Amino acid sequence: MHRHLVTNAISICLAVAGSTAAAAPVDFVRDVRPIFEANCYDCHGAEKQKSGLRLDVREAAFEGGEYHRPNIVPKDADSSKLLHFVRGDDEEIRMPPKGARLSAAEIATLSDWINQGADWPEGADRVRLEDRRDHWSFKPLAVHDETASIDEFIGGKLAAVGLKMSPPADRRTWLRRVYLDLIGLPPRPEEVTAFLGDDSDRAYEKVVEDLLASPRYGERWAQHWLDVVRYADTHGFEVNTPRPNAWPYRDYVIEAFNSDTPFDQFIREQLAGDQLGKDPATGFLVTAARLLPGQIGKDAPSMRLARQDELGEIVINTSEAFLGLSVGCARCHNHKFDAISAKDYYAMQAFFSGVSYGDRRIDSPEAEAQRRELEAFQDRLREIDRSVAGFVPLAGSGVSRPSVSARLNVERFAPVKARKVRFTINKTNLYEPCLDELEVFDTSGKNVALASLGTVPTASGSNVEANRHQLEFVNDGEFGNSRSWMCSTGEGWVMLEFSSEFTIDRIVWGRDRQGEFSDRLATDYLIEIADGSGNWQRVADSTDRIKGDPKAPEASTAFAPEHQQEGEALLAEKRRIEARVAGLEAVQMVFGGAFGKPEPTHLLNRGDAEQPKEEVAPAVLSALGDLALPIDAQEHERRLALADWIADSENPLTARVAVNRIWQGHFGIGLVETANDFGRVGAPPSHPRLLDWLAAEFIRSGWSVKHLHRLILLSQTYRQAADIVPEAQAKDADVRLLWRFPSRRLEAEPLRDSILAVSGQLNLEAGGPGFDLFKSRGGLNGFPPVEAFTGAGLRRMVYAHKIRMEPDAVFGAFDCPDAGQSVSRRRQSTTPTQALNLFNSRFVIDRSRALAERVEESEGEDIIAQIRSVYQLAYGRDPQPTELADAASVVREFGIATLSRAIFNSNEFLFIP
Amino acid sequence: MIHQAEYLSPSGRQLLDRRGFLTSSASALSSIALASLLGREGLLASGLQIDPARPYAPRAPHFAPKAKNVLVIFCAGAVSQLETWDYKPELIKQDGKPLAGGPAVTFQGPAGNLARPQYGFRPQGETGKMVSDMIPHLAGLTDDIAFVHSLTSKSNTHGPAENFLSTGFVQDGFPSMGGWVSYALGSENQDLPAFVSIPDPRGVPQASVNNWGPGFLPAEFQGTTFSASKPLRHLAPPNGIGDAEDRAARSLLQRMNARHLEGHPGDGKLAARIASYELAARMQLSVPEIGDLSTEPAHVLKSYGADDPGNATKAGFAKNCILARRLIESGVRFVQLFNGAYASGGKLNWDGHNDLKNQYDVHAEILDQPSAALIRDLRDRGLLEETLVVWCTEFGRMPMFQKGSRGRDHNPDGFTCWMTGAGIKPGVSHGVTDDLGREAVQDIHPLYDFNATILHLLGLDHERLTFYHNGIERRLTNVEGHVIKEVLA
Repeated sequence: MHRHLVTNAISICLAVAGSTAAAAPVDFVRDVRPIFEANCYDCHGAEKQKSGLRLDVREAAFEGGEYHRPNIVPKDADSSKLLHFVRGDDEEIRMPPKGARLSAAEIATLSDWINQGADWPEGADRVRLEDRRDHWSFKPLAVHDETASIDEFIGGKLAAVGLKMSPPADRRTWLRRVYLDLIGLPPRPEEVTAFLGDDSDRAYEKVVEDLLASPRYGERWAQHWLDVVRYADTHGFEVNTPRPNAWPYRDYVIEAFNSDTPFDQFIREQLAGDQLGKDPATGFLVTAARLLPGQIGKDAPSMRLARQDELGEIVINTSEAFLGLSVGCARCHNHKFDAISAKDYYAMQAFFSGVSYGDRRIDSPEAEAQRRELEAFQDRLREIDRSVAGFVPLAGSGVSRPSVSARLNVERFAPVKARKVRFTINKTNLYEPCLDELEVFDTSGKNVALASLGTVPTASGSNVEANRHQLEFVNDGEFGNSRSWMCSTGEGWVMLEFSSEFTIDRIVWGRDRQGEFSDRLATDYLIEIADGSGNWQRVADSTDRIKGDPKAPEASTAFAPEHQQEGEALLAEKRRIEARVAGLEAVQMVFGGAFGKPEPTHLLNRGDAEQPKEEVAPAVLSALGDLALPIDAQEHERRLALADWIADSENPLTARVAVNRIWQGHFGIGLVETANDFGRVGAPPSHPRLLDWLAAEFIRSGWSVKHLHRLILLSQTYRQAADIVPEAQAKDADVRLLWRFPSRRLEAEPLRDSILAVSGQLNLEAGGPGFDLFKSRGGLNGFPPVEAFTGAGLRRMVYAHKIRMEPDAVFGAFDCPDAGQSVSRRRQSTTPTQALNLFNSRFVIDRSRALAERVEESEGEDIIAQIRSVYQLAYGRDPQPTELADAASVVREFGIATLSRAIFNSNEFLFIP
Repeated sequence: MIHQAEYLSPSGRQLLDRRGFLTSSASALSSIALASLLGREGLLASGLQIDPARPYAPRAPHFAPKAKNVLVIFCAGAVSQLETWDYKPELIKQDGKPLAGGPAVTFQGPAGNLARPQYGFRPQGETGKMVSDMIPHLAGLTDDIAFVHSLTSKSNTHGPAENFLSTGFVQDGFPSMGGWVSYALGSENQDLPAFVSIPDPRGVPQASVNNWGPGFLPAEFQGTTFSASKPLRHLAPPNGIGDAEDRAARSLLQRMNARHLEGHPGDGKLAARIASYELAARMQLSVPEIGDLSTEPAHVLKSYGADDPGNATKAGFAKNCILARRLIESGVRFVQLFNGAYASGGKLNWDGHNDLKNQYDVHAEILDQPSAALIRDLRDRGLLEETLVVWCTEFGRMPMFQKGSRGRDHNPDGFTCWMTGAGIKPGVSHGVTDDLGREAVQDIHPLYDFNATILHLLGLDHERLTFYHNGIERRLTNVEGHVIKEVLA
């Protein structure tokens, strides 16, 4: 139902029933509507339309609500849902739900009226429905005039209200503006000098071209997009554990901006990059927070709900980011304002029903080579393990063996056939026993204990703590305390039963291979095996272990003397290979979603996964198109089809939404100020013709973002001074008409980056895993902030390991998005916390000192020269005489670092002028 | 004229624009023409005007409030209603039997048999309400409390459920209740933050910052976190910077910004940043002062249990309770006091899956005396006349033990939270769970209703307190919520 109330101005026309049939003729206006008015309109009238049903407009009343239709079938009362409800055929949904039921006479009136043909006369409606599809952003772009320009549109609108553009900003101001805007760093003094000295016609153009060609550009502009898609390097919610392979998507976005990937292609790659040779791009699909399996209830409804939530986030991301529509609202009910039905929502969800959250291999020729290299390394690691194990004394051989280690212990014995292995612990150093992994190797060096090979664990009893201690973690192939088994009592056993009999000669176990914990370590234990016939025998125990420090590292002291040298050499090789392997493993995966067979998608009553209705096939929003796929369409076909539809130049929303975001990046606010919402609640464009012109120009240029940058940055509109003109301010305080350049505060990332750049400490290493803003990545230690940054910590902030919901301790307060919900436009808050952070944080103090050292080195003892240099580096200008005198008086007493600290806090430094 | 339009929804801006235009009489006519030119007529009105120089200035509620400020005691990890406030004699009778028709699998896995309340219950006060012996001090306040026994949550996972309790949404990223309240009402004290969150000495709760985050509200309305043992960050420069140097830097900055503003007359954003440094300077004095408990007399420390030598965690929590009272006393609008930390197998919070009784013995000792003393202290100082105290937890627990354990699994279908103080009808028990405490059966209230009631007591209509974000005028109560009238005085 794409209709909406606009007016109640239509007169009522009384229809007179003319016949005298057997049942007394029922008249709608006289007999029926009073029943509706008294009983139904509170919930199904002009104000509210519960379940999408309204009974005050003919067409809507006949059609019915979201889930029950048709409501009125003329001449067939029994097929009309209206009668089902008022009669209470289904006790669960009797209408009206509260208060008195309709009387038998009233029900009879309704029934007779329907059976007589349900005559609802023309003109009886008190309101007229508006077509919700009749909305500016759903209409085609205006015809493109290639000769027009941004300045004409802006100037024209200003003139219409008696305003005009401000004169151009001085060149220094423009240069600083365009640097901060485009690359997020201030111009260096020599760059300022060069531009001021360049009086050629192309001076401005040259600056723009240089900046667009700089890799720094993508690092700055990718952030705008990452805000929208709520990118983070953690999973969110309560455990907020790292998502270690998220960053290839972040790097993909940076690279896409730097190489000016056509925006239509950018869209296609993010939805279906796996089909287009751009695996990292599909990180887009799964940027949202998600519950990990251990956080989801084991009961089936919890799992269904979690799945719906995951799919919902993909729909929200896709519709908000590309289409500027809040389709997510329609998950539980038809959209209250826009022409988006619940069915539209589920039809869109169906495009993604084969997508699940998870890592995927990045496929490329390089990745293939890496994979082969990795496999070779892994083979070698197995060989080393087997060789090294051979140097460990045999258990029970009479030779005393090293003390048990919390990290790793090897039990070697003569080959023996085994179907089961039982590890019994009689005593620990402290508390109930805990094992992070129990590995059992056959004579070929394969770990046959792994659950993935069908091995099943049982135990005397387990202390379960979801996502940390679970029995199945004992043979899941993952190490560390947070993937471990804990016994429920101080002594007990864990047993592994293999899927078939293996010949084994080695068992490896540890308390915590990651070395954090050394309590709960088995100090008195025995290991038994049973063969296929069930005969048990002991293969190892702790009686021949010497007593020692449980924190001792693995194996290195454990070799028999004659093998010491060779063993050490092998271990050294192992460590080298492991370091290489870690790198190889990291780059070949992306958290970009896993694609499987699509699950059936159902329309869900009120969004409740426990109330599925009819199955729904993939289809685009019905108000915007009629593309639909068969219900059994292949997974990748679905995403490709949706991508093609969104990225089509005929789609009225896509280009408008995209150019508006670019415009917003330059001016701080879009032509449509609600950049994620081009629907009816969103703001209409301040300059509709300009928006359309930019969109058409964007498409004409081959969806080139850099083309848009050039158009905007080289316009007079962008070049205006930022000074306030009182008469204009009085008319347009928000500067929506752009009678000046709207100066604004730097966002968190360019602020941090700029402080680093001016201090001379910015590390320009690009790409790869993020650096840490916190000393630990969650878990029991939480997120204590790093205080003193060095090395990788001095990289650009876009390369930080972004913790969802956890703001950076200093710059988070500057409206840095938390990656919870999409941020379509950053706020510009001004808070005392910002002031405290910038004035007192170790980060800023350290940079102030670094800047001081930088100018002391370049300028020597000369305080005046130092001050000039600080001004040049930070502001791109010389100090005025009064400024110089003022600064000098402070610097003489307290040193140049004090001036630097004030500079990094100053408005001139923080604002894009 | 300063417009901080970015705080406002488009509709709020429409309103503000109008107001701004009309006060500027010379241009009133052309302004109206401009508004229509921009096509911004007809938007709903909802946003608030925030003065960036005084973001915490007191603002008027929608209607006369019963309460001026709020103290929330937030017990993280899901306190069992069956061991505290919801007395179930039938559960004692059916101890050890399976729950007929009950779920075979609950959040963590297979369900075991019904298990009796792990503490005795006895009647309390004039109402004679049965309350658990686990919390004798709090039980003594029963006559003043309005209990809601029939709350439900939308999630049975701690993180999303804490989000739901604090923000009205299970997802990450929505504004917290304290954020909403400080956005709506500002604060009575301009030298302290409007919204303070006090983490438990043992650590932060599972949904962590979501419980006090601003979501998409302006950053001013984020809860400021500090406790008696953990001071606010960045209140002072790091070691090595002397007072004189610090003052010199501050005053140099002030002169630099003043000169810069002279060159950019009329720019409200620049003026606001200057003002924010002045507020920061006041906070540098007032925050350490408020956190300095050395001025509290010995009998106060003793009554809270802040001097308990044998239980450092209890003493730490008690000090946080005293800090909470001092903040309320100073006019801070919203104080959130946490009891219990993150997931820890029930060791550090109320998540009693495995060994409920032994763990609750420990947690109750920490919670009971200090929080009861806090409420009494507020009452004795007359602060409960204007302060609403809310005790809450994200969901309840199952009447069965989990299979093979001595603890209860998550239960979002019927649990208890309560309120006392300003505007609350004392001695009320509203809503009922079934005889075994498995789920709410009468006067069922999703947490939306509980939150709507808190806003109502503050004079705020939960349907009118909105903020535009990504296509929707968002609310603390989403599209739900009914004030629970039965608990109102």
